[in-house]
Amino acid sequence: MAEPEVLDRAVMETLRKLTTPGEPDVLTEVLQLFLQEVPPRMDRLRNACAVGNIEEVYRAAHSLKGSAGNIGAQRLMGVCRQLDEMGRAGDLTDAAPLVAALGLEYERVAAEIDRIIATDSN
Amino acid sequence: MIPLQVLVADDEPVSRTVVGAMLKKAGYPVIFAPDGEQAWQKLDSDDPPAIALLDWEMPGLQGPEVVQKIRSRQDQTPTYVILLTSRDSSADIVQGLRAGADDYVTKPANEDELVARVNVGARVVQLQTALADRVRSLEEALANVRALQTLLPMCAYCKSIRNDQNYWEKVETYFTQHSNVSFTHSYCPNCYERFVRPELEALEDAKAAQDRQRRKG
Repeated sequence: MAEPEVLDRAVMETLRKLTTPGEPDVLTEVLQLFLQEVPPRMDRLRNACAVGNIEEVYRAAHSLKGSAGNIGAQRLMGVCRQLDEMGRAGDLTDAAPLVAALGLEYERVAAEIDRIIATDSN
Repeated sequence: MIPLQVLVADDEPVSRTVVGAMLKKAGYPVIFAPDGEQAWQKLDSDDPPAIALLDWEMPGLQGPEVVQKIRSRQDQTPTYVILLTSRDSSADIVQGLRAGADDYVTKPANEDELVARVNVGARVVQLQTALADRVRSLEEALANVRALQTLLPMCAYCKSIRNDQNYWEKVETYFTQHSNVSFTHSYCPNCYERFVRPELEALEDAKAAQDRQRRKG
């Protein structure tokens, strides 16, 4: 099976079409919001993992899963889902590699977002 | 018809913005709450939104808890509540509906599905509002019928009626005020013989007397 796109093209199209005439562009607004809101929550997740705060891991992973899902960042959402499930199950034994994967995938998503915003503003 | 206002309560800003934009595009006025407490404040106000989309997991009050608070109030037209959740197991869905939610949508929300479900909510709210209005007008009509069923004190001689404020009113006035009845005046055959004919005859006599007088003069 083909590797999923960093950002689902269909989701990008849906977001692009949500703009009501005369209002700010929804896609740009949502992507910028993502760049602004996600890093602090990834920090919280990393810290919670480091100190073994299961409740906080679950909460942060769950909310990151929502953010990723809404912009069609399927792979990022997949990593968040695994962390969410671990937090829910109360077992963080295998969390560390996932947290590292989360950081890498976020970088890919952020680069793709920068590219889209730059293309759109031209 | 004025579009119904929708509350979107979600602590996750990306999801909140996307869901809000979907509803705005569909023509709904949208208000936002970043957590359960603020959602409840908006729902408990004098002019609450008709439809609420509540995220399940929020800090403070969670979605199902907000639903329980809404349902513990006795409203004639209760808020239509849709839970937004990434939990999609049957057990979770049943729990949310048991808490009093009307529907649920799994996250990330699909635009067409979300708008279709909110439209269903709007239809239900409009039906409930129309029904509540109808019940209210029927209750008013029933109260009037009851008022007419009570014992009315009536004067045995002039037939006036004593009203609730203790004043004597003409029968016509009383019934015009307490029902949709209005009166047109006429006379019955008995009263014609008793009152009208003697009056007409008296007039005829007076006229004949006048004519005789004129001829003499």
